[in-house]
Amino acid sequence: MQLYRFPFKAMGGPCELRLYAENEVRASSAAADARQRITQLEQRYSRYQPDSLTTQINMAAGDKPVKVDTETAGLLDYADQAYIQSDGLFDITSGVLRRAWDFRSGHLPEQQLLDSVLQLVGWDRVEWQSPFIRLPDRGMEIDFGGFVKEYAVDAAARVCREAGIAHGLIEMGGDIQILGPHPDGSAWQVGIQHPRKLDRPVATIALESGGLATSGDYERYMLVDGERYAHLLNPATGWPVNSLAGVSVKAEQTLIAGTVSTIAMLKGEAGRAWLAQLGLPHLWVDADIQVGGSLS
Amino acid sequence: MARRHANALLALTSSALALPGISSKSHAASPAAESQVDYRYSSYSEDDLSRSKTSNPDTRRYEIDTHQFRLVRPWGDEYDVTVDLLYETMSGASPWFITPGANNQPIQVMSGATIDETRIDMLASLRRYYGNETYGVSLGVSDEDDYQSINLGVEAQWDIDEQQRSYSLGIGYSDDDLEPTDGASAAFPDRISDASKDSLTAYAGVTQIINAQTTVQSSISFTRHDGFLSDPYKLAFVNGTTTNDSRPDGREQFAWFTRFRHFFTNLRAALHLDYRYFEDDWDITSHTAEAAWYQNLGDGWQVVPSIRFYSQSQAFFYAPFYGQARTDGFASSDYRLSPYGALSMRFKVSKAWAGWKLSMSWEEYDSDAGHAIGDVDVENPGLVDFSVISFGISKRF
Repeated sequence: MQLYRFPFKAMGGPCELRLYAENEVRASSAAADARQRITQLEQRYSRYQPDSLTTQINMAAGDKPVKVDTETAGLLDYADQAYIQSDGLFDITSGVLRRAWDFRSGHLPEQQLLDSVLQLVGWDRVEWQSPFIRLPDRGMEIDFGGFVKEYAVDAAARVCREAGIAHGLIEMGGDIQILGPHPDGSAWQVGIQHPRKLDRPVATIALESGGLATSGDYERYMLVDGERYAHLLNPATGWPVNSLAGVSVKAEQTLIAGTVSTIAMLKGEAGRAWLAQLGLPHLWVDADIQVGGSLS
Repeated sequence: MARRHANALLALTSSALALPGISSKSHAASPAAESQVDYRYSSYSEDDLSRSKTSNPDTRRYEIDTHQFRLVRPWGDEYDVTVDLLYETMSGASPWFITPGANNQPIQVMSGATIDETRIDMLASLRRYYGNETYGVSLGVSDEDDYQSINLGVEAQWDIDEQQRSYSLGIGYSDDDLEPTDGASAAFPDRISDASKDSLTAYAGVTQIINAQTTVQSSISFTRHDGFLSDPYKLAFVNGTTTNDSRPDGREQFAWFTRFRHFFTNLRAALHLDYRYFEDDWDITSHTAEAAWYQNLGDGWQVVPSIRFYSQSQAFFYAPFYGQARTDGFASSDYRLSPYGALSMRFKVSKAWAGWKLSMSWEEYDSDAGHAIGDVDVENPGLVDFSVISFGISKRF
């Protein structure tokens, strides 16, 4: 068996499929199917594309309910669970806070503007009665961006497994799902990005199966008067959460790993204790670049 | 606090598993992706009989050495093939008949000569995976000096994605021929020279995934045996003399089997609970309950302590010995038809690395009338205690 690599770009970041197969035809055909699945999810859930389902739902805010397909219903049910289990921190309606925060401007938002945008945040007010969703107020938005990439990793992995690929991995913007160890049984060595020195890993983790996802404060942020403001916004206050610089979580599904790492970041000071109690293997990097957690 | 957080993970996982990109076919059966070869050696050794329970000067019993090979190989995209081979050598003495001793206390008489036997067993099965459906056929043969058997089986399984459930159905048929050693010989003129029997089994089962950590499986099976079901080597003591072991020539059995599996994510451990109920038209009812704890220790190490409890009632025609012959002519003093209970404990340790897996296990089995549910008037003196030690090695490639 030989290793075939397929790098590409999707969902705003670099991605790669690394597949072991008997020959190139098998590997390429699995890779093509996986990429098609990722493209399908990107087109359906992108909020930038005018004909995406997300855009349709957001355009109908304050108006009629929109009927969604089974897969979308599953994703909304999942988002609902994540909202409940995170005490409201994981909220797919919080994307509108972008209207107040411009991370390229170098300026903090006016509190008045932030307060008015906060009126539009709140998954608990969304009328979600599967398969119908209705956003109650004009201007409200939902955004699958907080978890659809991790889901796409799992979905692409499933496509590859069904194509008979038993050794390899799927990676999208640092989020990973392992199809199986190297053919000799050895684990994949996965580097976790250093939150400050972005060209080097802060840790290397051996993975034989399952998923790994990382959330960090370095993906989008600005410095104002020497203070760091990251894009991870608390949906209750509208202000960035500071305390952890990055969290990586290992779970069977990359989707779960991603949600748990996001929630841990949003929990701020309480994130470390929450991770420890949840029991999934994890690694955190705090603001002083101290590393800890069960994977460290 | 910890409990609530553990539930958070459970809640997220069950929502995630309902997603088509994650679940659906991920639990549907699929052909083996890799080949695997297993070898296991087991040494089974029965404890000596206690002096007070046997008339024989030599109290040693059975020992069995077993070598098992298994090969699983994918064949194309839709099939896999499994071949099982077993080679066994048996030696020792086994219970022959029971006589009444002083105060009618039963005394076991063991077969005098040492029995030496070998058994070869081969089973080949082919499975086809077709979307959410799996079909299998199997053919097996078994050969001993005094016994030949051929068996056939077909089975089907359906996975229902939306309900995270699968159903299975199967039937099996077995045709057995016996030619007892020394049958109808000068030494054993009453022992039959040859006989045959056949068995038909049908079963149906359902497996339900409750959530990512929990599954429950339940099945029922019905088996009918026809033909010579007695033990040609055993005798029964009736009215002061011995007579051939004699049982009905038909037996219908019903069994209900349920397994529960729960994985504790935080502990990296799994609890397996199994229960089996059995009854047949010889009036035997039995209960088997087993609990096993699979603990992963990291670095490929796993330890599995387990405990099993068994209890059965007696066959309607069984007696340790008979004052006078039964009107139906049946007679058997086989301890396997007697009322008794058993407790066994097993400990297994294994280590996996780079496609290899080594394992070792040790089991102690103790049967006793005192372990039975309900009172047993007379304990069969032939009840067996044994220990089994096994070593296994397997390789995926």
